[in-house]
Amino acid sequence: MTSKVETKKKINLSITNPKVFDAIKLIIAILIALAITFVLLLLISNDAVYGLKTILTGPLQKSRYFGEVITRTIPYAFAGLGCALIFKSGAFNLGAEGIFTIAGVAIAAVATTDLSSMAGLHPYLCVLAGMVVGAILTTIPAILRATLNINEMVSSLMLNSVYSCVSLYIIRNYMLTTTTSTIGSKDYIQSAIFGYIYEPLKITPCLIILLVCTVIVYLIMYKTKLGYQIRLSGTNAQFAEYSGINSMKLSIETSMIAGALFGIGSACQLLTQTTFFQPDKSVAGIGFSGNLLAMLGKNNPIGVVISSFFIQYLEKGTNVLYFKDQSVPSEIVAIVEGVVILLISSQYFLRSFREKKLLKDGLEK
Amino acid sequence: MSESILKLTDITKVYPNGTVANRDINMEFEKGEIHSIVGENGAGKSTLMKMIFGIEKPSSGTIEYKGSEVHFQSSLDAIAVGIGMVHQHFMLIPSYSIVDNIILGDEPNKLCFLDRKSAIKKTQDLSDKYNFELDVTAKVSTLSVAKRQKVEILKTLYRDAELIILDEPTSVLTPQETDILFDQLKSFKQQGKTIIFISHKLDEVKKISDRISVIRNGVSKGTYLNEELSMDQLTNLIIGRNLDNDMDEYKTHEDFHNAHALEIKDIFLGNPEKPQLNHVSFAVKNGEILGVAGVEGNGQVDLVHCIVGSQKAKYTGTIEILGKNATKMNVKQRRNIGMAYIPEDRIGDGIAGSLPISDNLISSYYDRADINSGLFMNQKKINELSDELIENFAVKTENRNITVESLSGGNVQKVVVAREYNTNAKMMIAEQPTHGIDIGSAETVHHKLIEMRNAGAGILLVSADLDEVINLSDRIIVMYNGEISGYFPDVKKVNAQELGLYMLGVKHQTPEEIGGAMND
Repeated sequence: MTSKVETKKKINLSITNPKVFDAIKLIIAILIALAITFVLLLLISNDAVYGLKTILTGPLQKSRYFGEVITRTIPYAFAGLGCALIFKSGAFNLGAEGIFTIAGVAIAAVATTDLSSMAGLHPYLCVLAGMVVGAILTTIPAILRATLNINEMVSSLMLNSVYSCVSLYIIRNYMLTTTTSTIGSKDYIQSAIFGYIYEPLKITPCLIILLVCTVIVYLIMYKTKLGYQIRLSGTNAQFAEYSGINSMKLSIETSMIAGALFGIGSACQLLTQTTFFQPDKSVAGIGFSGNLLAMLGKNNPIGVVISSFFIQYLEKGTNVLYFKDQSVPSEIVAIVEGVVILLISSQYFLRSFREKKLLKDGLEK
Repeated sequence: MSESILKLTDITKVYPNGTVANRDINMEFEKGEIHSIVGENGAGKSTLMKMIFGIEKPSSGTIEYKGSEVHFQSSLDAIAVGIGMVHQHFMLIPSYSIVDNIILGDEPNKLCFLDRKSAIKKTQDLSDKYNFELDVTAKVSTLSVAKRQKVEILKTLYRDAELIILDEPTSVLTPQETDILFDQLKSFKQQGKTIIFISHKLDEVKKISDRISVIRNGVSKGTYLNEELSMDQLTNLIIGRNLDNDMDEYKTHEDFHNAHALEIKDIFLGNPEKPQLNHVSFAVKNGEILGVAGVEGNGQVDLVHCIVGSQKAKYTGTIEILGKNATKMNVKQRRNIGMAYIPEDRIGDGIAGSLPISDNLISSYYDRADINSGLFMNQKKINELSDELIENFAVKTENRNITVESLSGGNVQKVVVAREYNTNAKMMIAEQPTHGIDIGSAETVHHKLIEMRNAGAGILLVSADLDEVINLSDRIIVMYNGEISGYFPDVKKVNAQELGLYMLGVKHQTPEEIGGAMND
């Protein structure tokens, strides 16, 4: 039996293996994106070679920079993980953005409450508040889908606006700070802020929470019954029905887990990057990026975390460059991100090469 | 020898997933002949036709039409030179009238307006010329399957097709309708048109063809004059051995005390004016196969939806599965009390294509205790189980981790059947279980169904293939227009011709006779 298994494990390293093909596609997509960046730098900056070099190595120049990359990766990675889980189940819920905001209100409410009696637990209570609010509210599109057959993409996008306005309303009427002119909550109580577990890079416990959650999401996705149902439904919903999978129950469960991840992500952002909560600024854009990161990571939890790091790394690189050369706007990273996602999600990109190889193999057989 | 109209030289087709569908095919078609192409399902007949009709491009080789080489970019190019094709699955818009369906894409215009009057005249004249007996202003949705096929043929005639390809045209017809079709094909031939007739039913091929080409495993096995070939020689050419059609010898006859695996009482579906199922009642006993014959679209699909518990079917009446009232149960609950289901559309309803074979082999019982341990699924057990099923059902694959969509149709179906077999269910619904798969796979499927039957499972076999129904079933019901039109308690006493009359609604038994389906 064992010998049989060994002979089966011959790994096909040719382009005909879908995994190898995807890897090659990714590398070529990144190279093309960097080439485009280089051309843009040639057009706008004074020294394109220096510019590209700074983008690629900037975050490594100071340990503080690298620490920032890690800290900023965390909320995005949570957004990506949640979206990956939802996408994997076949739903197209784009509501992460709104959940990050409305969970932020709950987190800010806990963070601005004096809980000095349980000092060490305070940040974790904030995370918990975000988790609960996120988990509950993310199920709404799933429930609407199951009961009224409303497309979850439409309802989740609508809810993004609803949550954003509700957040503004709550902050403005119940939690408004008196010290600044912007719409924002009071400053968080000091005990709510995460401490550092590794001072030189300013690493907070959020990193550990992320790593644990990534492992959990991975296990859920590939090792549990729930994950099996998610993958089956995401691949063929009709088949899942005939297999006896309850699609409503499944989508609610998936949404709750994803929502909890969004809530944690929101807390990690607020309690490391801000000192008070502004509904329209503090977590803006993270949820939407989560959708893209899930696509970039092919809905694989590890892929999502690596993609999040990759994007934040490039973002920091362009930031560093901007310090030194103001002619290069930091938004240039969005171009890299866009090109890579476009090429990765394209079904046709490089396909003809693979088909030619398959054709050759097929004829030789 | 008469003149050649179409010549294929060294045609090879490799699909992007690496499947070689055709290899070095050489074939020549003459003007004014009926030329059959036979081969097993999956032998490469349809691919070859798609290349002639411009839907697929050959990977290598040349196609010559009327003496000059052609490179069709799409089927539009093929239609333009006079090639027409009637697909196995009709390409019609049900809510449009016949004439609108026919002129679609080639509308006659007067100034800038649609000239519907002359369109109606032209199509009606064509229909009358060939005795199609169609009112071209009728809506397609009101037509029977056989008439829809005529509309498809009319569509090719309207476009002045000289070469008409018919892909498995008789698979949806009763024996009587087939005879009518053959008469028409012969009249086309007299008009000088060339017919390419694709079929895997050999008696029909022998009946209609001038010449026969055989394809096996994507390779041409030569072209023969019809009278040169005996039936045995033909089967030998097609599958390389003689066929074992009779399943009767594999059946054992234990006594299961007439217990009912499935009991359907007074099922009604649809609106009162036009019901899809009109008070249908029957029972499937333990240890038998009840065959459901009928022309496609007479309620069989709806019936299966009701029994499986699909959300699509909101029926009234009662359904009992293995003695338990399942009327209000969902799919999962029904599966839990012992139902298994082989769906007709295996790609759409039977597999998750981009997942590995092993995942597809457990979907009907993924929550069973033996493949789960605590929080996680037991991957080792799943792997063992998968290897066992792959071997037992002879699924042709390198290993269990290959995505199921990369398998051939027959092997996909083996995966589906293996999974449902392994549920150990005592009530099985097998919907077109061998539709479109190769003979070898079909044999495996048939043997496994008999095996389940012998072990005491009650099997409802729904099939449009009359031979399959007659070969496998113990008892047969015929469905016509959402009702049971005939019940045959002994399969040995029926023949296809007789069943055909009930399938067409020409004959209809009395309620007492049909009541036997429930009470025998």
